[in-house]
Amino acid sequence: MNKPALKTKDVQDAPIEEIEALTFEIGGETFALEAAIVREILDLLPETIVPGSRPFVNAVINFRGKVIPLADIRVAMGMPTVATTIDSRIVVVEMDFDGMPTLVGLRTDKVNEVTALSMVGSEPPPRVGLRWPPQFIECLIHRGGTFIIFPDLKAIFASTGRSSQPD
Amino acid sequence: MTASILTVDDSMSVRMTTRIALTGAGYKVTEAVDGLDGLNKARATRFDVVITDLNMPNMDGLRMIEEFRRLPNQIGVPILFLTTESDAALKGRAKAAGATGWLVKPFEPDQLVRLVQKVLAK
Amino acid sequence: MSNPDPVDIFRIEAAELLEQMEQGLLDLEHRLDDRTLVDAVFRALHTLKGSGAMFGFDRLAAFTHHCETAFDRVRKGLAEATPELVSAVLDARDHMRALVEDPSGDHADEERYLLERLQAAVSGAAPLPVASPADGPVAAAVPASPTTWCIRFSLPENTLVNGTNPLSFLDELRAMGECRVVADRSALPPLEKLDPTALYLAWEVTLTTDRSRADIEDVFLFVMDDMTLTIEAQADSASTPEPGPSATISADGPLAIATEPSPDRPAPEATARPANDTADPRLRRKVESVRVPAERLDELMDRVGELVIVQSRLQQIAATSSDMGLRTVSEEMERLCSELRVTMMVLRMVPVATLFDRYRRLVHDLQRDTGKKIELSTDGESTEMDKTVIERLADPLVHLVRNAADHGLEPAEARAAAGKPEAGSIRLSARQTGGEVIISVTDDGRGIDRARVRTKAEAAGLIQPGTTIADQDLLQLIFQPGFSTASSVTNLSGRGVGMDVVKKAIESLHGSIDLTSRPGEGSTVSLRIPLTLAIIDGLLVRVGEGHYVIPLPAVEECIEISQEEDLRSRGRAFLSLRDTLVPFIRLRELFATSTKPDPYQKMVVVSTGDEHVGLIVDQIIGHHQTVIKSMSKLHEDVTAFSGATILGDGSVALILDVANLISLGQEQEAQLRAIA
Repeated sequence: MNKPALKTKDVQDAPIEEIEALTFEIGGETFALEAAIVREILDLLPETIVPGSRPFVNAVINFRGKVIPLADIRVAMGMPTVATTIDSRIVVVEMDFDGMPTLVGLRTDKVNEVTALSMVGSEPPPRVGLRWPPQFIECLIHRGGTFIIFPDLKAIFASTGRSSQPD
Repeated sequence: MTASILTVDDSMSVRMTTRIALTGAGYKVTEAVDGLDGLNKARATRFDVVITDLNMPNMDGLRMIEEFRRLPNQIGVPILFLTTESDAALKGRAKAAGATGWLVKPFEPDQLVRLVQKVLAK
Repeated sequence: MSNPDPVDIFRIEAAELLEQMEQGLLDLEHRLDDRTLVDAVFRALHTLKGSGAMFGFDRLAAFTHHCETAFDRVRKGLAEATPELVSAVLDARDHMRALVEDPSGDHADEERYLLERLQAAVSGAAPLPVASPADGPVAAAVPASPTTWCIRFSLPENTLVNGTNPLSFLDELRAMGECRVVADRSALPPLEKLDPTALYLAWEVTLTTDRSRADIEDVFLFVMDDMTLTIEAQADSASTPEPGPSATISADGPLAIATEPSPDRPAPEATARPANDTADPRLRRKVESVRVPAERLDELMDRVGELVIVQSRLQQIAATSSDMGLRTVSEEMERLCSELRVTMMVLRMVPVATLFDRYRRLVHDLQRDTGKKIELSTDGESTEMDKTVIERLADPLVHLVRNAADHGLEPAEARAAAGKPEAGSIRLSARQTGGEVIISVTDDGRGIDRARVRTKAEAAGLIQPGTTIADQDLLQLIFQPGFSTASSVTNLSGRGVGMDVVKKAIESLHGSIDLTSRPGEGSTVSLRIPLTLAIIDGLLVRVGEGHYVIPLPAVEECIEISQEEDLRSRGRAFLSLRDTLVPFIRLRELFATSTKPDPYQKMVVVSTGDEHVGLIVDQIIGHHQTVIKSMSKLHEDVTAFSGATILGDGSVALILDVANLISLGQEQEAQLRAIA
């Protein structure tokens, strides 16, 4: 799959409350990212550790001749690390850092689907009671009885690397 | 009938500037990028004037002038060459090859046009 | 590629002409009687005027025309070249540049002022003797009253075939005045022998005109060498007919071309410099060149980079193959890629001279603004650097040169009192060592006043009063933002020193900046810039499970460490090497490697120019060509690595930043000692 699967909708028709998103799983939780920033989904690639880097972006990979950073939302969220499985994938997204478009790979346990998510009823993360650092979460969405988490990648990448708040 | 001019030069900016000057004066201009290209175009049509650089890849101006003079459809056509300095020896060789006259670079557009008018006068 | 806009092409050419003009004028300032320089500047003015008119830059053409006319007086020897003139033309040139960039701006007052200055500089001065070697004597004065000339000419038989129309000569003569034309048919052969394309006629023309003999000769300019021509003044002149230039030859047969123009024939059209004049090396430097947009070069670099990677994969496959044909091809590919790589490296490198040249103008203006005499000298201008890096050094160097002129150099009286030559010296030099280029700005001025630096630093809160600090560290405080050694902000340096800005600019090139200074003697600012070629030679090593590349220019030697030495050196930071102590860093420790170490560790001794350090690794694999891929912003904070590269098997190796590694190692060592 090469391109973000944006359906061409008429701008007037699209309800602003709905966006195309890629959902995936990490540590048993379901996360989602706007499909517009997703460039590619890859099988696992050999990783090269970068000594001295911040723990949540501790490696790089060779993506079509480019050396791009490999980030781990799991580490940022303070979840325990587990072994990879055959479902593990790398999601490559493109983000803007200081005006430079940059490709970043994200480790995932499983990629689900690209789907339209209704943003109606999305909630900001509660300040307390959440297992993960609220500052790294953009919002939560209800769907079919569970929460889908939109991580705030910019906030994660800007942080110094100390992981979660105390449990 | 509008006079038809062949300009031969490997420099795009020179071709462009001579084209602008000449079409501005009402002439029809055909461009060639080196001696070989110039000869090919000359075999196909007779021109009223030829303006050529001397230093070009594939076939330089001197060779082209010599070959041009052998073409049966181009007898008597004035050939002007562009030269940068008052290099008497080079001018001599070009004349010996069959050139008619020269224009010293850098030239102003109206200089070029006047020269063309002069050689075209019948 | 889309059709280029002619105006863009003109702009590029105009920029070159303006550059030539400036360099020519600056040279002229030092050699005021050099006629070739005068001619060169005049030619540039002339061309700029012509092209400007051609492309619609009317104001530019008009302004340049006035300048050209004024400067023509110098060219003709009617006025002297003086420093005031050079200044005036330099300022006029700046205005021309402004007119190229913004043709529609209104600068009438400014233009008037500039032209007045120019006029003043070229009028009233004693005329220079016309001594230019190639100029013939100036053409004889035009006769004020009409003269009658008898003009006889005949041309070779092949004249018509070669495109000359003799009738056009008659037309031109007729345009000059009253004419009587008689054709000479004496050479006409009988009809059956007549070749319709051959010319058998000659002419005699009696012309009454007030134009000069030179004008008449001009009509025959193109055929002058091949014809017979006599021009006799009639009536008043008792002079014997003066024959035209050396005649030629028979009507048939090859043309013997007379190449010596006769002494009283003025030089035609362009400036009469001998074609191979080598007096001014700058004029000769115009080599054939092609303009290529920088992005195209970058694209080409990327393609070559990818080619290098694929070639090394081919090499790996061939190495384990028994197919001789494949191995031969692979070797050939390696040789070709290596040569291609060298060519690419060279393409983007330009000599620092292109940078240094810009400062001549700056120093010229600084002299005027500071009232100090300044001599600019350069050294190592042929040192080459990547084009984009040079561009990024331009502004920082402006700061440094300005500082040297403004703050470093003392005014004339102070210099005299100190026994220094009246003219202050600013020297720009460049040299290459290992993987770096070092560019220095040195002045022989008053040096840096440590006490004032101290005071300023304390006032800015950069250092506590009373704390001792090493001299070098004190000087480095100058690069901190918020610092200034000038007690007043001068017009020249803008906000003050701006050294922090300079430092940032250099660091963004992964370089460093040093300052040395001796009170009363002068100061030197040195910029060390790593050579940033996209393809470098490296030494591939392994530390634990990771592969790393050390830039080969930094590598001095490789040593295997015996097990006893290894044990002995634990807990210490120095290793003995041929009677010297070499500090070392265990990369396994620095990188927190968890795998088992190789039994025999290896040390790669690297140098950063001044310092040597040994890097201890598990394995030295060998020489490896690498294409540098830069690290993303997310790894900006990891200073140990200057980039990454992709190995033949597709895996990634990180490229060590030697200078940073050394500082990291020193920090770590300091921490260890603090604990111990």
